[in-house]
Amino acid sequence: MDNLDFLNCVITILGIFAGLSGLVLLFSKQPLTCALGLLGVLIFTAGIYGMIGEHFIATIQLVVYAGAIMVLFIFSIMLFNIKHDGEKFDWKSPFFVVSLLLVGVIFTLLARTVLQSFDMPVIESQRGIFTRSMIAELGGNSQVLAHSLFTQHFISFEAISLALLIALVGAVVLAKRKFD
Amino acid sequence: METTIQVLAAFLFALGLLTVMVRRNTIIILMGIEMMLNAANLSLVGFAQYLSQVDGQIQVFFTITIAAAESAIGLSILVNLYRHFNSIKTENAATLKG
Repeated sequence: MDNLDFLNCVITILGIFAGLSGLVLLFSKQPLTCALGLLGVLIFTAGIYGMIGEHFIATIQLVVYAGAIMVLFIFSIMLFNIKHDGEKFDWKSPFFVVSLLLVGVIFTLLARTVLQSFDMPVIESQRGIFTRSMIAELGGNSQVLAHSLFTQHFISFEAISLALLIALVGAVVLAKRKFD
Repeated sequence: METTIQVLAAFLFALGLLTVMVRRNTIIILMGIEMMLNAANLSLVGFAQYLSQVDGQIQVFFTITIAAAESAIGLSILVNLYRHFNSIKTENAATLKG
């Protein structure tokens, strides 16, 4: 890739904004502001997917995650009329400090394990053939994904449609008014 | 670029986990769960790009679908919680009696 520095720069900027939106979700008191923070995270990660060449996944993320799931959340906030929490959260309580330490440990272990795996030869042996030039030659990201989905992973595809049907029925049954 | 994506995925996962542990409003806990799922997707996509594969992207396709189904079910459970305890704070849902 000839403009790798530009790509790195844009992905870092999108990543910083995604992290800031995540912090808005964590620290804000109004539920609607938290929902907007989550929406920001989803949109910036969709931007990262688009920048590294995975256009189909970026579109699916925007349509399904940011378009359907966030609308569900915001409708729920509207229908339950959820206002902000009355009392202040005590940020200096031992509960929060211990939680922060534990999550810091988990983050450090996760990041260290993943970053160490970039040097391992067993990871290098899994290198596939779909570089960006190969994908462009084969007709684009959607075409490559569709071919792989409908030939190699078609059983998972059928199982997912069944799982969606079960989730639909389950959501309707759980939420309907019980007539005794 | 690859390390940036992986560190960002770990950071978003840690933020989602902290949201689930610390916040006491049920709908914000559900939002934290969605952020954890999104962070896992980001890590999968990052490795799929690094190894020039397509299998990671197909796994992300399935994970996004299941996350949508799970958020619908989670909001139905929230509706039931509200009907039973008349509030969505986790402090009010303190008894197991149904």
